Amino acid sequence: MKMTHSQWLGLSVLLGLLAFSLFGILFSPYSLSEQNLDAILQAPSASHWLGTDHFGRSMLTRMAHAVGLSFALSLLCMLTSSLVGTAFGVWAVWGGKKVDNILGIVVNILLALPGLVVVLLFAAIAPGSFLVLYLAISLVQWVEYFRVVRAVTQGVIQSPARQSSQMMGFGRWYQFKRHIWPAISPSVFTLAAFGGANAILTMASLGFVYVGIQPPLAELGLMTVELFPYYSDAPWLLAQPLIVIALMVFSFHLLAGKRA
Amino acid sequence: MSVLLKLTNVAVYVGDTCLLEPISLELKQGEPLTILGQTGSGKSLLAQAIMGLLSDDLSMAGDVEVFGKVMSIDERRALWGKEMVMLPQEPWHSLDPLMKGVDQVKEVYQFVREKSAQESLSIAEDDLRRVGLEDSGHKRPDELSGGMAQRLAITAATAGGAHVILADEPTKGLDVSRRDGIVQLLQARSNLGSLLTITHDVAVARQLGGLLLVMKEGCLVEQGEAVQVLDYPKDDYTRELIAAEPSAWSDMAPTSRQDGAESILVADKLTLERGGRILFDGLSFTIKQGEVVGIVGDSGCGKSSLGDALLNLLPISAGSILRSNKTAKPHQWLKLYQDPPSAFSSSVSLGQLLEDLILLHGIDKARIEPLMDRLSLPHGILERNCLAVSGGELQRFAILRALLLDPVFLFADEPTSRLDPITAKEVTALLVELACEAGCAVLLVSHDAALVQKTCHQVISI
Amino acid sequence: MKAMLFKRALQLITVVWGVGTLTFILMRSLPGDMSYRIAASRYGQDNVDSHAAALVREELKLDQGALMAYWHWLSDLLQFNLGDSLVSGLPVVDALKHMLGHSLLLAVAGLMLSVLIAVPLGLLSAWRGNPLDSVLMGLSSVIRAMPVFVLGVLFILLFALHWNWFPVAGFGTPAHLVLPAITLALSLAAVSNRVVRDSAKRTFQAAFYQFSRVKGLSAWQTFRQHGVRNIAVPVVAFFGIQLVSMIEGIVMIESLFSWPGIGHGLAHAIFARDIPVIQGAALVMGILFVLLNTLVDIICLWIDPRGAKTL
Repeated sequence: MKMTHSQWLGLSVLLGLLAFSLFGILFSPYSLSEQNLDAILQAPSASHWLGTDHFGRSMLTRMAHAVGLSFALSLLCMLTSSLVGTAFGVWAVWGGKKVDNILGIVVNILLALPGLVVVLLFAAIAPGSFLVLYLAISLVQWVEYFRVVRAVTQGVIQSPARQSSQMMGFGRWYQFKRHIWPAISPSVFTLAAFGGANAILTMASLGFVYVGIQPPLAELGLMTVELFPYYSDAPWLLAQPLIVIALMVFSFHLLAGKRA
Repeated sequence: MSVLLKLTNVAVYVGDTCLLEPISLELKQGEPLTILGQTGSGKSLLAQAIMGLLSDDLSMAGDVEVFGKVMSIDERRALWGKEMVMLPQEPWHSLDPLMKGVDQVKEVYQFVREKSAQESLSIAEDDLRRVGLEDSGHKRPDELSGGMAQRLAITAATAGGAHVILADEPTKGLDVSRRDGIVQLLQARSNLGSLLTITHDVAVARQLGGLLLVMKEGCLVEQGEAVQVLDYPKDDYTRELIAAEPSAWSDMAPTSRQDGAESILVADKLTLERGGRILFDGLSFTIKQGEVVGIVGDSGCGKSSLGDALLNLLPISAGSILRSNKTAKPHQWLKLYQDPPSAFSSSVSLGQLLEDLILLHGIDKARIEPLMDRLSLPHGILERNCLAVSGGELQRFAILRALLLDPVFLFADEPTSRLDPITAKEVTALLVELACEAGCAVLLVSHDAALVQKTCHQVISI
Repeated sequence: MKAMLFKRALQLITVVWGVGTLTFILMRSLPGDMSYRIAASRYGQDNVDSHAAALVREELKLDQGALMAYWHWLSDLLQFNLGDSLVSGLPVVDALKHMLGHSLLLAVAGLMLSVLIAVPLGLLSAWRGNPLDSVLMGLSSVIRAMPVFVLGVLFILLFALHWNWFPVAGFGTPAHLVLPAITLALSLAAVSNRVVRDSAKRTFQAAFYQFSRVKGLSAWQTFRQHGVRNIAVPVVAFFGIQLVSMIEGIVMIESLFSWPGIGHGLAHAIFARDIPVIQGAALVMGILFVLLNTLVDIICLWIDPRGAKTL
């Protein structure tokens, strides 16, 4: 697959953030919750490269953990929902009318509630649980893959090219590899990039309304609320999670390419 | 006779590349002018250049004179509808998909002729009645057949009262019976002014009469009275074009077939339904080994569905299909498709596709070389994917791929209708010849009765 | 049409069932003695004793078997008997009515504003082309990359705290509506203006659009006769997709601006574990969502009857 300049840019920014997160977690001398009440709300300095928050905790360490958490969640959700959605999407077309109808009903049920509300309800059951957050977001996201993959696959199944391969005696795996996958892969890739952005957004949104990841862990949405009261004393602190969220989402959108 | 339209050295360029060589012509009142040539020969650009419809990346040179006055693009645009109009090539795309047919005619009377809404509607209804669309005025374009849509588009286009009518491939994709009706309608519509038609169809050029220009790859090769040029062509290319018409073909059906050949398929009292409509019923026939069987009929009559049913791709409603050749495996019953690129995966090269097939069925690689030569397929083709190869080459490659599987039955669904006439003739001849050599029966579906007549041992009409 | 309505009706049922089941699981899964927690949140931590807890247990039927309780729970729900808030003790239905009004006000204001922004800008992009197109598309990409609450926080910082033009949060005066509505509108418009632009571009380049000009209609007549409706088809269909973002946006914006709507109520209730309110708020959102989707489907069919066969 050929990538455009803006897709490369998006990928590089994401890789850069990932590297920042890994180095921050591995090499920062401060721990995530190590407080120092003598040095609160400090500006970036040689000992605290990104400053300290209202408890005197290292912002660099906290940002690195928060970014890492966002990446972990978005990659997990992306992987799970794309695999599940693609597999079910192809199965719905290939498995016959019955399978298609049943999957159609399941999807219809999932689409009856806005995604964020579903995630909120799950989050209410187990507040602060990364696992539940991951399951809920994946549950919401696979539907999109399913719908797109199913629609595209339907076209491919009826295409002369696929029909001709079948008549010549090729099996299902071959038909998938040569006909279905080339047709759906661009859409799956685009959806995955958007899905990654949405997972990050959803987790930050939950953190922002205080029902997501719980303190003292660092999470971008949560940090935004925590640092909001100090916007005039230490604007550089509030700016950090805001900029990083926007940067991550923007890069995922760039990576997704031109469409949507 | 007054000159309505005069072109002086009109040429079309993209950057520095010339797409249409300089051309000069005169369109006179009452004398239709036809430009004949294959697709891709720059004909359509000419019509667009005259109208002032060239896309931004193209530039035009030369003068366009309308009613004796050299006009700029903006001046020509001001003539649209009232004085000069271009009929669309693909009526389905040229009609508003969401608007009732009659309203698309009515709006011209209302806005171009500036009549009242009510009067416009009644004139529009009259117009539709005259072209036999009185029952279809309330339908949207997607509910019309190709012929109906073309009649509607012609009616809408000429409602403004234009004297100069440009028609770009007005009969593209239409059956022979529909085609003649459209040509007559065009002639009727243009008797007050004049008609400039662009076509690849020799029969259309013959029917229209008047002056004829033959074009090849953006150059003019021959011109003169239509009758004169078509009956006594001077240029080789013109000759080739005329000879490529199926009615001019020599009989291709190989006579070497033995009468004692075994039958491979017996169809008994077949009935086929699609979407609740019976396409045909009680159809019985037998296909013998190595026989070429043609199916003719208008579009939508179920020709292709019949072929698909014989291949078990569609269920039949009644009757029976008996494959009497028990030794043939399923992959020896194959199909050639109408649109060659759609029958191949574009994700890998053609060579890879061939490799896949060889691997699956253990085919002897040595067979490929001679077959490629027979089909005059260049070797480089194997490194390209299906989108980078011409339609004619791809259809020949499809024949190659099918023949490697030693088919006993090949259903060819309009295999040449998307190809230009000269290529179509070559491909048809090769298909028939090679299939017969291999002892493979061919079921040839075509909307062109003449083509089937010239190539088949047995003809089934639906 | 029938198939579509059937599908939507099924969704309506599953919304009720799904929300009911999830909130039921939620209630059963809470750690510790449910009745103590409720009593504590009702009467204050200092006034809780086993007597108060027993009263609560009796009142809310907390000691029944799981299946029995589930059955009670669903049948109460079907009768729209949503109970009282665990926090305030007031009937949930009353609170919902109050919140729904506020949410609808915000939604309608935000939506209208987004249409007023997106449609003219989208058409302008398609009509004028570059460089205006690139500038507008770039701008909307940047806004799109910002989560609604980031956009809202920026607006609060700038317009409320820095310049003091509008109140920071709350409700009551029209001035309170301005920032939440603009935040919602911008977040929606940054996506939909591209849809308008793409649709308009496609229509302007369509063969039928050109054919209308060739027939002799002027640019304006062509736009009116063939442009508006054809452009509208994908735009209206997209609105159905955007309903999700709208409801999600409302949840976030209400929480951020303390706008007393359903979203704010839901987030608060989840934080306070006020299960009847969680259930009521989720239910109202789900039902509203399904009804609005149905409305969009019907409008789509009306503009583009071709879809009638496929739906």
